[in-house]
Amino acid sequence: MTKAFSSGSSVSPESVTPEPGIYLAEHCSSGPLLTLFRYRELLRQLVIREVKLRYKRSVLGFAWTVLNPLFAMAIFTMVFSRIFGDRPNYPLYVITALLGWNLFSLGTSRGLDSVVMNGPIIRKVFVPKVIFPVASVASQVVNFVFSLVPLFLFMVAIGVGFGRSLLWLPIPLLSLACFALGIALLLGTFNVFFRDVKYFYEAGVLAWFYATPIFYPPEIIPDTFKFLLYVNPMYALLESLRTPLYQGTAPRLDLLILGLGISVFTLLLGWAIFHRFEGRFIHYV
Amino acid sequence: MSRSGKLGQASRLLRLPGVDQATQDHASILSSDRPVLEIRDLSIRLLLHRERTTSIREYAIRVLQRRRVERDQFWPLREVSFEVNGGDRLGIIGPNGAGKSTLLKVIAGIIPPSVGRVVVRGRIAPLIELGAGFDPYLTGRENVFLYGSLLGFPQKELERRFDRIVTFAEMEEFIDVPLMNYSVGMSARLGFAIATTVEPDLLLLDELFSVGDAAFQKKCEQRMESFKAKGVTILLVSHDMNLIRQTCSRTVFLQHGRIVAIGPTDEVVAEYQRFSASSPSGQRTRP
Repeated sequence: MTKAFSSGSSVSPESVTPEPGIYLAEHCSSGPLLTLFRYRELLRQLVIREVKLRYKRSVLGFAWTVLNPLFAMAIFTMVFSRIFGDRPNYPLYVITALLGWNLFSLGTSRGLDSVVMNGPIIRKVFVPKVIFPVASVASQVVNFVFSLVPLFLFMVAIGVGFGRSLLWLPIPLLSLACFALGIALLLGTFNVFFRDVKYFYEAGVLAWFYATPIFYPPEIIPDTFKFLLYVNPMYALLESLRTPLYQGTAPRLDLLILGLGISVFTLLLGWAIFHRFEGRFIHYV
Repeated sequence: MSRSGKLGQASRLLRLPGVDQATQDHASILSSDRPVLEIRDLSIRLLLHRERTTSIREYAIRVLQRRRVERDQFWPLREVSFEVNGGDRLGIIGPNGAGKSTLLKVIAGIIPPSVGRVVVRGRIAPLIELGAGFDPYLTGRENVFLYGSLLGFPQKELERRFDRIVTFAEMEEFIDVPLMNYSVGMSARLGFAIATTVEPDLLLLDELFSVGDAAFQKKCEQRMESFKAKGVTILLVSHDMNLIRQTCSRTVFLQHGRIVAIGPTDEVVAEYQRFSASSPSGQRTRP
């Protein structure tokens, strides 16, 4: 910084080889959380766009958000009611976890691809890049909340009431959203550099679905594999989400805390990695 | 130590393109005589072996060849330093691949500097590509709010200016039609109307005076004239030397990412024209 510079006159600055070690990246050096807050209007617009456009040009439109899990529930019930039918209200058992799973799988698979998908914007306007994965996950949370309405109607229809246990719902919901965002940020960062990540994840998420007790009860897992439940954060998260709805009781406290802890950890990790690399995204999208 | 403080301040300013902030800043810009734009020792480095490695197989191959590719550095901008005072209009000229558009993108915050620093005081209107971020499936109305919030305008400001934007773009009939049914000219008109609806402190223009038909171009020019009259700082990238001479008092001549000359427009344009005449074939080569 010893080099004085003049303006106004014709100068031809003599070249000094810049040291590649000095990186003063102005645009990605200050707090991303604050930036995100300043761009909350854009976040709102992106969520509206995603929720609105999902079923554009379909006759039933927004109703699909509700119908989709209902169809899945019907199929699982038809296929598995012989095996797991002894569970009371098996359809309710399935759908309560399935809605949570959909939030997670759609939020992560769209979120991890969102930076690449919005490449045309990133190349032409300054925008905090983290806003795209956040919008993907947030719009799935919005969809989840909307689908609670028909779920409650369904619960009333089959004669299962709901009570005060619902007050627990925000905690597992928030944990699940944090976990999904963490995964989306983490994998989204790698996906910018290697587009293979997206395809690996698509295969992986299917395996993950079958490895998680969603349409089957955790009790059927052989004892030797029980440890898998505690390695898989989705078990703790979906079980905590399901209990207040399905059983009408408070979720198991150990699972609730485990889920929250893992989610916060994943989010912080994903956020840090994303923030570390976002300055380079522009050359790859 | 004071430097890091200054840096923090700089990035804060850059990250606040919101209008409310701009008006706050406006007073401070006028009260202090600090330049609207300060660029010091700016360099951008690209490592070509890292670029566009989009599959793991490709990456593995490149890692194996590491020693050979490591040398493939490319500097789209190198050792660029200048400042622009409030109300100045700076032209940026040079052959293709000289780094003109890259420079605008760095100032707009799109590309982070590898070395050096950029300080912008005030709100930027980056007219680098109009309507970047328009969604073809949303209507014109929805896109006004999407694109507006992308540029950092608050919702209320957009609601207040909505009618003016639509009138300026001459979109009254089509505002509730999805953008995919618009012609290219129509969406460019809408993009221009949104991006220029609030008077910026610093306007970045990249060769865009081809928006819409002749009548609309006239309107664009009028809007530019009114910005000029109000003392908006303008950076203009163009190959049209007449436009540069008309608009800009000072000009930068870039080649291979370096400043060849900076100074009064007439002198710099003359030097550029001498350069073009002497090496017509060498214009497009990169180092």
